[in-house]
Formats: sequence, structure tokens, C-alpha cells
Amino acid sequence: MPVTKVLTAGIGEVDMRGIDAYRERGGYRQWERAVRELKPADVLDVAEKSGLRGRGGAGFPTGRKWSFLPAKQPVRYLVCNCDEAEPGTFKDHMLIESAPHLVLEGMLIGAYGIGAHHAFIYIRGEFKRGYEIFCAALEEARKAGYVGSNLFGSGYDLEVTVHRGAGAYICGEETGLLNSLEGKRGEPRLKPPFPAIEGLYRMPTVVNNVETLAYLVPILERGPEWFSAVGTERSKGYKIVSVSGHVQRPGNYEIPLGTTVREIIELAGGLRPGRSFMAVQPGGGSSACIFEEHLDWAYDYESMGKAGSMLGSGAFVVFDDTTDFVKAAYNLVRFFAHESCGQCTPCREGGSWLARVLDRLVQRRGIPGDYEMLLRVSGSITGLNLCALGDSIEPFLKSVLMRFPEQFTSRIANVRESA
Amino acid sequence: MTERERDFPALLERLKPECDAIVARYEQRRSALLPIVHLFQQHEGFVSREAMHAVAEMLEITPAEVEGTVSFYTLFYRRPVGRYMLQVCRGLACSINGADDIMAYFREKLGIRSLQTTSDGLFSYEEVECLASCDRATCMQVNLEFVYDLTPQKIDGILDAMRAGTYAVAPLAQTDAPGGTWEIPQDAQVASGRKAPGARDVESPNNAGGVGDASGTIMLDNIISGDVRFFRKTAERAVVDSRAVVETIDEQASHAGH
Repeated sequence: MPVTKVLTAGIGEVDMRGIDAYRERGGYRQWERAVRELKPADVLDVAEKSGLRGRGGAGFPTGRKWSFLPAKQPVRYLVCNCDEAEPGTFKDHMLIESAPHLVLEGMLIGAYGIGAHHAFIYIRGEFKRGYEIFCAALEEARKAGYVGSNLFGSGYDLEVTVHRGAGAYICGEETGLLNSLEGKRGEPRLKPPFPAIEGLYRMPTVVNNVETLAYLVPILERGPEWFSAVGTERSKGYKIVSVSGHVQRPGNYEIPLGTTVREIIELAGGLRPGRSFMAVQPGGGSSACIFEEHLDWAYDYESMGKAGSMLGSGAFVVFDDTTDFVKAAYNLVRFFAHESCGQCTPCREGGSWLARVLDRLVQRRGIPGDYEMLLRVSGSITGLNLCALGDSIEPFLKSVLMRFPEQFTSRIANVRESA
Repeated sequence: MTERERDFPALLERLKPECDAIVARYEQRRSALLPIVHLFQQHEGFVSREAMHAVAEMLEITPAEVEGTVSFYTLFYRRPVGRYMLQVCRGLACSINGADDIMAYFREKLGIRSLQTTSDGLFSYEEVECLASCDRATCMQVNLEFVYDLTPQKIDGILDAMRAGTYAVAPLAQTDAPGGTWEIPQDAQVASGRKAPGARDVESPNNAGGVGDASGTIMLDNIISGDVRFFRKTAERAVVDSRAVVETIDEQASHAGH
């Protein structure tokens, strides 16, 4: 079974929150090397060659994202997205609490790579403990001379600001995040312009996920070829998968991309005794379910796309035969309805009306035609909104509507009987 | 005027240096809004009207802009809450691992529903979205500190310790008596159907649907109808706006003349 420990090395075994413990394991050496020996363009080159793709959800190639920054604009920002709130995802929560210096070193390298002098980390409001741990780590790093002005005598300045959210899933969407960072409601912006052109304070900005930035440290250390040698054709390197639901040992498992779905379930201890497999939601609350026929498929960006779903943030929720899929669909749709910022009608209205219909099905008070209505409505939200939240409402619902129709239709009340 | 309101100027003076330091971290003043509101809530237990006015002055924006922003976020409480904020995860991974039973147990033990506070002002209870701890379902936060692997026995122990004042997590500040809920009812426009119907009864402290709530509207009314500190600002804006309107009309009229 392919168990890898790159970012997760030492987590749960050693306390790496203090700077000394982190330095003992080689911490900040890559940061020092980058500033002393490499040009920003070299760092960008390494990121591009490694094949690293965004680990927050969209899977966009990191190096390419950086390359969109306009060369002529000297003021630019790096923002680390630690607003982890995708249902089922709990990797950034772990990284920020257990390996804050690794996250910080990745941010510093990323900021240097794009030539920023001010980097921000946006930490989910609920992660109060993680925020305190990260702030303490930042202070240590500042004292040690890793953050501030004239770093390592090079003349390069880099400031880091920690910004804590206050409870809103939508602030994980990069432009919603930027608005929140500007002290506004976390409402996503119309794109284009994308943040690389007009981001924080209308300046070119790169927003990268915690895990993405953290991977820059081992990639710089071991070389881009080490990373790109692992994985599949277009999905390179490693990924932390947050496995939860009906498995015996839920937790974060770091795997080479391309590990099969079945292997991931086995890594997490397999199903409970006597239970049978029904489905996996492989990419967080926004993704469609995959089923038995996909168990031996590779877990990578392309295969999950081909299976009708996505790899997303790597949240991997396993469902056994005890699952009530109507309730599960209600749970997720209600979540998106609750978190919709309300700007776009299809998302705001579609989500809350779908939740209402699903609620009555959960109560076994469905009305004849509800199943068809769910199918119809769940096909009319995607692609009509400012951001991807609206597009996230339907995939899970649609996949289980098609796969388990009887779970829905059996809850339609017999009108004549109840009359 | 309540005790708290009388004490507010002293609190403001005490927090001013810290607020200034927060503002200095950002290239633009308004970015300091969330951290400063967090700071006031930490000291007052909720985000008071006085705090929102003070933040508006510090950041050179209007109180309505502050409240409009504050109302977007679920972790900002615009009304007093209990000493212990119990936020139980209702996310999918917790849900398929028994969260419904855990939530029902809480409701029964506390005698309240989500978004309510017990009459002794000790507990506020809310069922919240995924807390990113699905490997240790079911989970909750107590004053934002995580508690994992919940069972009825564990809940009994926690509630008893809180009642006895021996629980490990410090209670929240409580400078004003909490009411039955900290949720702010949505305004008359909503009741009359002007808010989009889909969003109308989505139970949430952050207001989906784009229309403000009762207190936001009242605050705006206060400003326009003579809260002297902000009246001038609004008046200035009105002058600028009306000039623009006049110019536009003139321009259209002259075009029409040709």
C-alpha cells in the first residue's frame, strides 16, 4: 500500500510547532537558499516543472497561475487560502495546527517566487486555535530573521499578515476571500478581471491553498523532477486525502496521485465489518458521487473528471449501505443554500427551493412529481452564477438521484391515502 | 443607558492602541474591519452598536457599512450571547455518524433550539456547518475550542463542568444580558415579500438574499434623520449625488434638444 509522508511527515509523532523543532528537521533551509541563491524566476521555473496543481479544489497549475501576473506591475500580493470549509475537508486544519512553520515557509517561498513584498494568510474564523498557533510561529520566524526587511542581507523585504475570517464558506472562493480581506462582505467578484490582474486592493494577486504552498518546500529541496516523477500523466506528485464517513480509520492520508479509490478506502481501514460499499464522494461537498464501478479507478484529476466527478480539495467521504441518500442530499443542498451569498438568483433561489423539496422528502411527505422536479431544477443552476458555489449545489444530488431513484420516489406520500 | 454603555468609552480608549496597530498592518484602513470587530466582541461578548459606530469612525466608513459587513459573518453576534457558545457540527460526515442524535440530545438537555440561549444566560446553542474535523465525527466547538468524538456521556460531563464553573475553556465575556436568541429578525421589507422568496426563511445569521435587516435599516434611518456625527457625511454625499443627477438630466435634455 503506498503510504507516503512528505507534508505529513512527523505529524502526530513530533511536536513541530516550535521553530527549533522545525529547524532540526531542516526547516527554513529552502527559504534561505531561495533568497540567497535563486532568482524569483528560478522559483517559478521549479514550480512549473514540478507539475504542481492547486490543492484547494480547482487543480489549476500553480506555476501557470503565477505566470499570469503582469510583469510591469511591481506591487503584487500573495494570499494563502486557509479558509478550509469544504464539507469533508480537514487537511489545512491539520497543517496549520501541527506544521505552522512548514505552511509559513511555503508562503515565503511562494511570495518570493512572484516577487511580492507582502503576503497574507486568511485563516477560517473557526480555526481560532490554528490562528493562535500560526501567529506564534510567525513571531518566532520574525525574530529569527526569516520575515521582515533585508532578509539574509539580500535587500529583499517581505512582510506577512495573518487575517482571521469570521464564519462564511464563500470566503474560500478567492475573490470572496479578497473582499473579506478588504474588510467587506465576502461576496465573490465578477471575473474577469481575475485576481492575477486585479486582486487585493486592485493589485495583481495570487491566491494559493495552504497545501499547495507547503509542497513548495519539499519540491525546492528535492527538485521538481522528484515531484513530477510521481503521479499520473497530468496529475503529478502527492496529495493529502481527507478520508471520512463509513471507514474504520478516518483521517488524513498522503498518497501519490493515481492511487486507486479502493486502495484509499483500504488505507483508511476499509468499511466496518458486515457493511457493503455504496458510494464515495471523492472531492468534497461540491462533487458528485462515484460508485462501485469506479473502485479501481485512479484517484487523480483526470480520472475523477472522467468518472463524472472531481478530485476537488481531496475530501473523500465513504458511504456504506446504512446511508440515507435523501438525507445526505438534503444535508449538502441545505449547506449550500445556507452559504449562498445571495448575489445570483439561480444559486440563492435554486439552492433554497431544492432544500425545501428535499426536506419534505426526508419527512416522507413528498408530492408526486417531486423526483422529476428535482431532476429538472438540479440541471438549471450550474454555469449561471458569479462563482462556483452555485455549480456546487447539484453534482451530489444529481448523482444520487440517478443512482438511487427508489430512495427518493419511495418517500412520496400517497395522496389518496393521506387525504 | 446600561452599565455597559457607560463603560464603553473606557473600553474604547483601552483598545485604541491595539486598533491602531491592527490598522497599520494593512495598506488600506478598511481591511482592519474583521480583526477590530473580533477584538471588540472578545471584550464585550458581542458586537455592540457602540462598537460598530466606533469601528466606523476608526475606518472612516459609515456605521451602515460596518453593520452590513458584520451581518455577513456567522461568528459575529450582534446581540448578547451565553457564557458558553456551543456550536455543534451538522455537516455531512458528522450527520452520517450520528450527529442528529447528538443534536437532539443537546436540544433536550438544554431545552432550547439552534440559535437560542438558555434563560440563565449560560448556554447559547447553534447547529453549524462542517467544522473540518470529519475524522473525529461527531464534533463541536465550545467558544471556538474543538471537542471531538461526542457521546451523550461526554456531553453530560461538559455541561456539568460548565455549570460548576470548572470547565477547561474560559467562558465568554458577557457585558449585557442575553435575550432568547442572538439572531436578528429580518425586516418589514422581507415580511411584505420584497425579499427574494427563496432566501426568506433560510435560518441564518448571515443574511442571504441581499436585503438588509431591521437593525441595519434602523441604523441607516438614524444617520439620515440626524445622528449628528454622521449626518454631515451623508449630507455631503447627498449634495454630490444630487449634482450628478442634475448633470445627467441636463445632459440628456441637451441631447434631446439636438
